[in-house]
Amino acid sequence: MMIEEGYNLRLYVAGQTPKSIAAIANLRRICDQHLAGKYEIEIVDLMANPALAQRHQIVAIPTLIRQLPEPLKRIIGDLSNVEKVLVGLDIRPN
Amino acid sequence: MAEVVQSNVQPIEFEDAEQVIHAIHHGDVDAFVVMKGTDPQVVTLAGADESYRVLVQRMNEGVLTIGSDGYIIFVNDRLSELTGFPADDLIERHVATLFAGEPPALVPDASLEASLLRRDDSQLPVKVWTRPISIGEKSATLVTLTDLSVYRRAEQLAAAERFTRSILEQATNAIIVLAPDGSITHASLMAEDLAEQPPVGRAFSQAFPLEAYNTADTLLERFSAKELDQALATKPFHGVEIKFRSERLSKRVFLLSAGPLLDEKKVSVGSIVTLTEITERKHAEEQQATIAAELNHRFKNMLSLVQSLAAQTVRSSETLENFNDAFSGRLQALASAHDLLTQTHSRGIGLSELATSILAPFRSRDERIKASGSHIVLPVDAVIPLAMALHELTTNAVKYGALSNASGHIDIAWRLVEQNGSRVELTWQESGGPTVKRRAAGFGTKLINRVLRDLGAETEIKFNPQGLSCTVVFPLQRTRAP
Repeated sequence: MMIEEGYNLRLYVAGQTPKSIAAIANLRRICDQHLAGKYEIEIVDLMANPALAQRHQIVAIPTLIRQLPEPLKRIIGDLSNVEKVLVGLDIRPN
Repeated sequence: MAEVVQSNVQPIEFEDAEQVIHAIHHGDVDAFVVMKGTDPQVVTLAGADESYRVLVQRMNEGVLTIGSDGYIIFVNDRLSELTGFPADDLIERHVATLFAGEPPALVPDASLEASLLRRDDSQLPVKVWTRPISIGEKSATLVTLTDLSVYRRAEQLAAAERFTRSILEQATNAIIVLAPDGSITHASLMAEDLAEQPPVGRAFSQAFPLEAYNTADTLLERFSAKELDQALATKPFHGVEIKFRSERLSKRVFLLSAGPLLDEKKVSVGSIVTLTEITERKHAEEQQATIAAELNHRFKNMLSLVQSLAAQTVRSSETLENFNDAFSGRLQALASAHDLLTQTHSRGIGLSELATSILAPFRSRDERIKASGSHIVLPVDAVIPLAMALHELTTNAVKYGALSNASGHIDIAWRLVEQNGSRVELTWQESGGPTVKRRAAGFGTKLINRVLRDLGAETEIKFNPQGLSCTVVFPLQRTRAP
């Protein structure tokens, strides 16, 4: 169920590569701290199903897609730069 | 978003492309999606990880990786099997929710036991092993779970096997376990010693070539080697006496027995064959048979001797009283000789002992009888004839000779003489008695001659006026008359 006014995030990872693991951990921490109770994360393992890369034209992994709220946003990398993530997701104004 | 060609495909925009280049440049990504034909494919920068992925997926332990916050990042297929949950249901769960009751403390490198909670609410005993790892710059924990139910079953089986093995090793009998086809699956230490070749895996007849101990026993002859293997593996056998064909074991006798080996459903899964050594028992039985035959032989001899004594004593006795005295005395001599034979069976009887025993009834005249000679152990079959001869000579002396008055003496002496092998010369010399007159040979003299002839002895009796003398020369060893 979609959370009203919330964030719908999809993280594309490639199995257990170091950057994928780091991205999962970083994203969870950021969301807990800044979007508590109003986010939904879907993790997509492209190693298991590469065809899923097509929908969002994923080129580099890890890639985070903000599906909601619109417009769609894309953040590439392991999400270790918290400021960049917050700005990229429009949580914090640039 | 108006340029989108397919409604569900999001095109990559210029600034995103710039972001990709920036991320690659700064090392923020470690995998890419490349097109192989029309299919996308993921290429990781650490491509060598693939072999480890396969290994982790295939291993027999459940494996999970948890982040520093305790949430599950990765599970392998085996963990899904152990828990009954698909991988997707496990990822993102907290590790503590996997266990029933108090979750195990995830102490690095420690091995702990815990109960894994399965999807069907059952519990599985597991061993939990924890190792801190780093994934990139992030710290994480690798946890492996070993299914102890399998391990414990294997432990029980191993313990049962050890138990069986120790019974087999302690057994003093040779114990061999056969599969239904007659091949050996287990053998005790004793069985291994008897086998011609390492027994396990071989057919019984090949490892233990054997035949009936008693040729009259034709049971084993009915079987070919292969048939015997089959029969031992499937039919009960009870106490067949066998010997081995090999020279090394040819002097030993065994009892071959076999009984079915049943599984928990009482279905035969082979047999247990035992080979019990009965060599000593067999020898004892044979010795006993020899002794019984010997006793039988002696008993018959004794009966005919007593019968002959009785018949001839009757003939030479004028009154019933005479008969009684003579017959009792002779029987007494016979009984004394027999006592000596029984008491001294194992060590043999000395000639001196025999003389002392036979002359004992005349002990009051002891000082008038002198007996001396070297130590000579008599052959068993010389005892009765010599005892009878000594008795007759003494009785004769009491009636007519040196012991019939108050002043006569008897000197008995013996020595070993070498003449055609070892022989003994025994002399009996009376003196001081009444003047001896030559008499027609009485029964006593006849008896002496007869019993000593049986002994293979040469006997000479002289009726010298000053006293009777008797010289007996007899062999120490001779073959028994048939």
